[in-house]
Amino acid sequence: MTDDTTGLVLFTVKVAVVATLLILPPGVAAAYALARWRGPGRGFVDTVLALPLVLPPTAVGLVLLELLGRNGPLGRMLDAVGVEVVFTPGAVVLASAVMAFPLLVRSARSGFEEVDPRLVAVARTLGDSRARAFFRVTLPLAWRGVAVGALLAFSRALGEFGATVLVAGNIPGRTQTLSLAIFQHTQLGQDARALQLAGIAALLAFVAVYATEGLTRWRGRRVRA
Amino acid sequence: MAGARLSLELSVRLPLARFALEVDVRLEGASVAVMGRSGSGKTSLLEVLAGLRRGARGRVVVGGRVLLDSSARVDLAPEARRMGYVPQDALLFPHLTAEQNVRYGARLGRASRVDEAVALLELGPMLHRYPATLSGGEKQRVALARALATDPALLLLDEPLAALDVTLKERVLPYLLRVRDEARVPMLYVTHQLGEARVLAKEALLLEDGRVRAAGPASEVLGASARGLLASEAEGEENILEGVLERPSEGATRLRVTEGLSLWVPDAPELPSGTRAAYAVPAEDILLSMGPLSGVSARNVLAGNVVGVEGAGAGEAAATVEVEGVRWVVRLTEASVRELKVAPGVRVHLAVKTAACRRLR
Repeated sequence: MTDDTTGLVLFTVKVAVVATLLILPPGVAAAYALARWRGPGRGFVDTVLALPLVLPPTAVGLVLLELLGRNGPLGRMLDAVGVEVVFTPGAVVLASAVMAFPLLVRSARSGFEEVDPRLVAVARTLGDSRARAFFRVTLPLAWRGVAVGALLAFSRALGEFGATVLVAGNIPGRTQTLSLAIFQHTQLGQDARALQLAGIAALLAFVAVYATEGLTRWRGRRVRA
Repeated sequence: MAGARLSLELSVRLPLARFALEVDVRLEGASVAVMGRSGSGKTSLLEVLAGLRRGARGRVVVGGRVLLDSSARVDLAPEARRMGYVPQDALLFPHLTAEQNVRYGARLGRASRVDEAVALLELGPMLHRYPATLSGGEKQRVALARALATDPALLLLDEPLAALDVTLKERVLPYLLRVRDEARVPMLYVTHQLGEARVLAKEALLLEDGRVRAAGPASEVLGASARGLLASEAEGEENILEGVLERPSEGATRLRVTEGLSLWVPDAPELPSGTRAAYAVPAEDILLSMGPLSGVSARNVLAGNVVGVEGAGAGEAAATVEVEGVRWVVRLTEASVRELKVAPGVRVHLAVKTAACRRLR
């Protein structure tokens, strides 16, 4: 691999890792709340959280751009404290995070839904506070769903294109990820280079998905054993 | 022998789906059976005690400690109540080994509590196994130990035997007796089996549609009114007798239940004299006779007085007969009741075949 390629791969992986870590706490919290909340508004929140999955990624990117651009409501606030997001590596992370968030929440939520709430009740009678019972019973039992969700989110972040290109642009060496580079080289007629990068992307995706599958099987074995 | 005594003051109201649970009762004793038909509010009552039901109003005082007093805005969280809750299906933590399950809440209790609970329930060989590999009876024993290890003020047992088949039930029951007699923790025991209630509890509370039908000594509460209320669920009723084994001669074993009542049981040479044991005798395997019995093959002939007769549905009846202070339930047909004129106060004899006595282990 050339230095160019190495840099590109490292940046892509780094973006995906940071984006996944960033959405993990709010994603787990949202998933848990959705799994336990039985009151009104659940369907609405559910639908809003699923939107990034079904909207055109470019539409999501556009919304982010409008929010975070110089004249956007969030952008102005950030500008006031000297932070610029649009067309920076931070924007790549943000776009990937937003697009990956629903995948994490969906999988983690089904993990939490599988946990019998009566186990938590028993933990409470055994001296656990609500929070302690969450970390000793709920999370360990929903762990597979959370982990699979994180890996899915990571995989999604690796290949994010539409939202990223709008809010972060396609700046080589600054905001360019593998998928953006593939697009650029194809546009320039450099098909061989684009194919080479596509091969690398396929390899990364394979590793991530294989790990997800492996995780699913491994946890399944241990609980049934 | 008797464990710590329970003093329980309950005055609670909790709206349920079909009716409101309205219990106002004071109970004293080492073990109290809570009985009633399915859906009569038994489990809800335990959950109120454990603090697992929000919305309960009233006052709950266990052993002098106020757990709930809605007028004073006291409502202790479940983790502050020190209730040893054992649910019907054990609910072990599936991601933890048996030992980790037992130790789960042990920081609440004395350090030696875990070892005591493990020894009492004989969990040694299964400590490193995961719940998925344990039998139903083993799970219940682990769940009992888990509750005991927290050094609870009161054990709340929600039909701990209901989910088990007959064989397993008989394996777990002796452990419950040991917990009652040796762990020195008072217990509240929910069941709809009269036999279980009789052997485990000295006091009883009978619920019907969320209200207390009767409360007090088990021998009174679990008589006529209980049978009428539980008739449909009293199938396969058994008399359960506890006592000390004796082998007066080779080839003969007898169970000494009280000073005046001994029962010949199938010979058990492997058990030394003095062993504590419990036996079950099905109510339908006992023969009732008006006159003294002689020349019958049954080795146990016991004289006693009828204290109650109730219809059990489908042409069947159940007679309660007191023999040397021990109450027996005998199944017979309503036709026999009429022909023999079985009625309270009548002197009768019971014949129990040795082979009908089944040891619970």
